[in-house]
Amino acid sequence: MEANISTAEQILTTDGIPLKDSLKKTERRNKIKAFLLVFPLLLFIIVTFIVPIFDMLGRSIDDSQINTVYPKTFEEYKKWDKDAEELPPEEVYKAIYYELGEGDKIQIGRALTRMNYSKSGWKSLIKKTQRQIKKDLKAEVVIASYKERLIEINEKWADRTYWYAMTQMLNERTPIYYWNALDRTYDAEMNVVMQSEERRIYIKTWIKTFKVSVYVTFFCLLLGFPVAHLLANLPLRYSNLLMIFVLLPFWTSLLVRTTAWIVMLQQNGVINGVLVWLGVLSDDGRIQMVYNETGTLIAMTQILLPFMILPLYSVMKVIPPSHLRAAANLGAKPFTAFVRVYLPQTVPGMSAGGLLVFVLAIGYFITPELVGGKDGQLIGHWIAYHLKTTLNWGLCAAMGAILLGIMLILYWLYNKIVGIENIKLG
Amino acid sequence: MSKFFKTIMAFAFLSVLPFSASAEVTFVSWGGAYTESQIKAYGDTYSDPDSIIFEPYNGGLGEVRAQVESGNVAWDIVDVLPSEAIIGCDEGLFEDLSDVEWSPAPDGTSMEDDLAASGVTIMPPCCAPQIFWTYVAFYDPDNFPGNWSGAKPTGIADFFDVQNFPGKRGVHTWANAIVEMALVADGVAVTDVYDVLETSEGVDRAFAKLDTIKDHIVHWSAGSKPLELVKSGEVVMSLAYNGRIGAANMSEGENFEYIWEGQVIEQEYICLMNGAPNRDAAIDFMIHASSSESQAEQAKYITYGPMRASGIDIIAAGEPWFHTGVDVLSQMPNTPEKIAISVIGDPTWWADNGSEISERYGAWMGN
Repeated sequence: MEANISTAEQILTTDGIPLKDSLKKTERRNKIKAFLLVFPLLLFIIVTFIVPIFDMLGRSIDDSQINTVYPKTFEEYKKWDKDAEELPPEEVYKAIYYELGEGDKIQIGRALTRMNYSKSGWKSLIKKTQRQIKKDLKAEVVIASYKERLIEINEKWADRTYWYAMTQMLNERTPIYYWNALDRTYDAEMNVVMQSEERRIYIKTWIKTFKVSVYVTFFCLLLGFPVAHLLANLPLRYSNLLMIFVLLPFWTSLLVRTTAWIVMLQQNGVINGVLVWLGVLSDDGRIQMVYNETGTLIAMTQILLPFMILPLYSVMKVIPPSHLRAAANLGAKPFTAFVRVYLPQTVPGMSAGGLLVFVLAIGYFITPELVGGKDGQLIGHWIAYHLKTTLNWGLCAAMGAILLGIMLILYWLYNKIVGIENIKLG
Repeated sequence: MSKFFKTIMAFAFLSVLPFSASAEVTFVSWGGAYTESQIKAYGDTYSDPDSIIFEPYNGGLGEVRAQVESGNVAWDIVDVLPSEAIIGCDEGLFEDLSDVEWSPAPDGTSMEDDLAASGVTIMPPCCAPQIFWTYVAFYDPDNFPGNWSGAKPTGIADFFDVQNFPGKRGVHTWANAIVEMALVADGVAVTDVYDVLETSEGVDRAFAKLDTIKDHIVHWSAGSKPLELVKSGEVVMSLAYNGRIGAANMSEGENFEYIWEGQVIEQEYICLMNGAPNRDAAIDFMIHASSSESQAEQAKYITYGPMRASGIDIIAAGEPWFHTGVDVLSQMPNTPEKIAISVIGDPTWWADNGSEISERYGAWMGN
């Protein structure tokens, strides 16, 4: 008898199905149900988050469009020995002549955006040339030398710098946008070289973006820590009231807060006015606090402050006051007790707040745009510019990817140093 | 599945679906007082006013390209800057309208000649003309700085002259127009500006001139800002969009003084989206919106000038033209005598050199 129960299959449910199968079935059904419940959300995340990110990463290295427009030209171009000949050989001119004359107008137009970024002036050069070639082809002009004909159409075809700029576009997959985003470009031999001096803006902006984000995070911590501490330790009826002061600005529109800061900080604004009235400043000596980096720093710190206070507060709230009392009991001075007992327990809150503020700051756009003025613009400004105005989306994508990369590196560093399990939002 | 859950799902799906195209033409523009003037001047005067839906957008071609590339075009007509009209047309984001018969001026002048009379020789083939708007310097005579010793700034050279006209200047944070103005202030004739800019020495010259006022500039980025800057005395002069100054003068009782000499006249176009859902109706509306009468009509509500020269004639004949019953021509940036002392912005040059100059200007500002 006992030997028969050695295997579980023997246990049957009332309708004769082995219990194990029956259980499995219900479990699977539950799993499917659970999956179906989260499926819309999963789909939403895939469509709105995963796909766009990969699309962006793809665009940042993709140069295939222009390669479909000038396949023959590029092929001939690669044969050009730049040491031996000053200008490309006749075959290159011939190839581009026909690719412009017979190519699809819209495809060429799209390629123009890309070409013009590698060298200003391509756009009108190609357009003018294209018009003339079309006329040539219609009139069936006999052409002895395509090189001479193109130079005759526009003398810029004899300008080597245009041809050299073409090296940037020769490959279908290219790191050039990343180099461009770092103030670098290709020279005639496809070596990476610095962009011409007066055009160098991106490295400076990257450093500034990084610097401002670090400062903002630091100041938020400096200002947020005491506030969070106060909130966590006051009796409930006072702390609730104080909490309103933190939350009210948090709920106020970003634009309103940004504009309010302009009113406060401008030269004829509230702060300067009070300082002049107090006699601290002379009327001519009003300080320029907005429309520059200072303005960006001040406004961003205030706007991002709640993101530091709230996680800090929620962590501090649950630190038992008895810990500090115990430390004091054991002979610690208040300062030692604070540093060695209290502070370590707030690290999860500081990390959460710090990471949150930093991530938000590094991609900030509208506030720096409005108060940044001459030198307070962050990298978001240039991403928006190329996205909307020059349509150089490859460059935008590369900048976005770099931002993403910085975040991932920081996250990895953070995990190494503090440990991601130490993060706490509440 | 509970009823509640089903409802949620239904809503979720509905919100994902794009709104289906209706028979109404969607006209996308900058919003605010500008769109308001378009609604009154073009929409309300159209044969079927209810068929036009006006929507605001933030400018730029980003959204336009996203719609065309995804094949999900929701807009019909977009109001864009001239260099964007060119880029959008080149890229096939807008549809080529070379074959459309635009409405002639009252005296029969073709639209092309009408535009040429205003100084615009190249019209983007995908677009219809709208208004002239300008970057113009202005100051507040009621708030006159004592250290100008009674002299009034009369030209853009005075804007760049911090010796005789000390004080801060408001300038926008992007390169358009200020580069041209620097050259005019440096003595280049208004018609030669782009020839000079064609060479790299010319660009260097403009930036060298900009260097002379660098420490006296307050940079603004929102169009309403320069008026506040001048009004509050934060700056003594500023560049601004002329329509903003006009609105303050005509509707808010301000008394701002323009410095017309050396202003940069910019064009504005309405373009047809490639793949517009209501293409034919949209073209019909564009013909109406670009007619001399409609363009003149717009000047009743905002002080941006009609691009068609005949539009100015209609206004001149009909003064007082503004809807409040006052004269408007003195506030208009493109009367013939003002055009003679203004730079006509060249969108082709900007489409060619825009990114390089913008990067350089950004680097210059930050240094």
